[in-house]
Amino acid sequence: MSAETVRTIIDDLGALLLFTMILILAAGQIYRAIYAVAAQSLLIAIAAAVLATATGNTDLWVIAGITLTVKTIVLPWVLHRVVRRMNVRREVEPVIPVAATLALAVMVVVMSFHLSATLGPVNQAITGNALPVGIALTLLGVLVMATGKTALNQMVGLFASENGIFFTAMAVTQGMPLIIEIGVILDVILAVLVMAIMVLRVRSTVDADIAGLDRLRG
Amino acid sequence: MTETLLWVLPLVPTVTALLMLTTRDRRILSAIDVCGSAILLALTLVLAREVAKGGPSALGLLRIDDLGLVFLLLLVVLTLAVSIYTVGWLKQAVAVGNMRAESLRSYFALVHLFVATMVVTVLADNLGVLWIAMEGTTITSAVLIGYHGHQHGLEAAWKYIIVTTIGISFGLFGTVLVSAAAAAHGAVGADAMSWSAIMKIAPMLNPGIVRIGFIFVMVGYGTKAGLAPMHLWLPDAHSQAPTPVSALLSGVLIKCALLGIIRFQTIAAAACGPAFPAEVLLVFGLTSVVVATPFILAQNDLKRLLGYHSVEHVGIVALGLGFGGTIGTYGALLHVVNHGVTKALAFFAAGKAIARYGTRDMRVIRGLLAVAPIGATLLMLAALSLAGVPPFSIFVSELMILRAGIGQGHWVAIAIFLAMVVVIFAGLLHHVGAMAFGEPTETATREPEAWSPLLGMMLLAAIMILLGLTIPASIDGLLRRATEIVVG
Repeated sequence: MSAETVRTIIDDLGALLLFTMILILAAGQIYRAIYAVAAQSLLIAIAAAVLATATGNTDLWVIAGITLTVKTIVLPWVLHRVVRRMNVRREVEPVIPVAATLALAVMVVVMSFHLSATLGPVNQAITGNALPVGIALTLLGVLVMATGKTALNQMVGLFASENGIFFTAMAVTQGMPLIIEIGVILDVILAVLVMAIMVLRVRSTVDADIAGLDRLRG
Repeated sequence: MTETLLWVLPLVPTVTALLMLTTRDRRILSAIDVCGSAILLALTLVLAREVAKGGPSALGLLRIDDLGLVFLLLLVVLTLAVSIYTVGWLKQAVAVGNMRAESLRSYFALVHLFVATMVVTVLADNLGVLWIAMEGTTITSAVLIGYHGHQHGLEAAWKYIIVTTIGISFGLFGTVLVSAAAAAHGAVGADAMSWSAIMKIAPMLNPGIVRIGFIFVMVGYGTKAGLAPMHLWLPDAHSQAPTPVSALLSGVLIKCALLGIIRFQTIAAAACGPAFPAEVLLVFGLTSVVVATPFILAQNDLKRLLGYHSVEHVGIVALGLGFGGTIGTYGALLHVVNHGVTKALAFFAAGKAIARYGTRDMRVIRGLLAVAPIGATLLMLAALSLAGVPPFSIFVSELMILRAGIGQGHWVAIAIFLAMVVVIFAGLLHHVGAMAFGEPTETATREPEAWSPLLGMMLLAAIMILLGLTIPASIDGLLRRATEIVVG
């Protein structure tokens, strides 16, 4: 593949990544947010595979494989199960209205492009818009975690921001060293399992969402 | 020898954790706990001697230097004190039903896994490994914070895991940026994330990227360190966790995060000049000291009081690092050790008082001196030291940090810092005085004080008083060499 083709593909993937992020931000039902974040992880895996073909870096193939199995299949499946066990089908109640969230998201995206312009001299592995997209995904993921009212929303936000960091790392250094990437993914898996257990534990003792508890103050 | 120790050290608590799963007997579990911690301490002392003789040494992704050694020694000493304290604490907690006897082994296993992840954060040379281990501490300690299993504990654990995970995502992002800056200067593969490799080329790194990277890292690891305004998880987690875990969180974990910040501070100082990271540290440090003060004054919950107090002291360490220079940095590192030891002692003594009165409400805890004279004395000693009274150790390090600030002419920062320290001094002594003196509350049990918690506390009190009176030559040498690494 020529460098030009790779750049076009990565740019297109970046646009799709931002689109999935908007789906997550605007998702009315938690199921939709989970599907959107699974799709986002799939796009990250494809991006890793494209870069692997282009650069001949075999580590990136491994990363693509792990992302595909863990983040696209296993973790969304875990979230799905938690939702079923919790038996909530009601709407996701946003802390701030969806329109305001989306306006905020647009600001974050603009800011990310601005920030990456000041980072101009970074020796990017891929030219094009991969870096600002990575920054935007990371920050928007954090936005989802911070504004999400339910525990599952916050977990989806965690995935999204982790996806953003992976994409950024691919953009600037062809990915972090393999051993580090594997460690990071392992941490994410463990964190999600622990969170899932805590969510179900609270659900089984009191009829409440763990993120909705607010008794500790002062 | 040193290289072997580097991979053996994280293995010791891991193996201890696995051994815990073989039995359910409380006595055997406690014995394994104390032995595991003692072995960890002994090996660390051997490592300290080797490093003092042969200098830093590295093994793959791990590395030990004098800076890491300061934090490692604090970690292992507190771990041993926690193990000794736990023996008697647990007996009482099981008796009153605070801990379920059948799930003790998972508690012990988690504590040692938590210690193992902290050992790795201290030994990590690769900044990616540092991050992975830091997130590892979040996961293991989150389970421990919610260990009592009641609603409040789980709420605190959830808040902790979400807030610190958000924060630490920023930390990873900053790490990626810094390693991208290093990759631009020929660092390849794992070297692009290795602290020692980056330090060699640090002056050439692009200052713009490193600056943004450092701010991200500061927010990220600052969250974990409990710096305001990212400290929101800290009082909840410290108050809800079982007491030995509170001592580890406040005594060591937040210090490990500070070590992460110091590592990036040295890179940023080399790449963009020392003024930039110093300024950032001063802002966060002052904010923490100011934000913590009103909460300390108005607090009724004993463990929350100590939690907010940790926010103040982490702020003071950040101020010391920000004032910089040899005195400021030395003072900051000494303060890390002093605060770690003293705060663990305070949590221990508070935990015993809380168990005696059955509440964390300081308005109910009265006349402690009459019902538990030794425990009350230790609590007062810890409080006096925390408030910064001479001749205790914290007075010494705070004075050094002040001197550094005056030397650099940071008058505004010094004024705010002094004002807050005086207010907190009065507030803390008021709280503790009211608890220690007066007529004991009716509900307080008058059973004799258990020996093992007292032993754990006296160990820490001895270190606290010793470091206040004199700093032994070996520790002084260690701190001096560590300061050199930071100041350069």
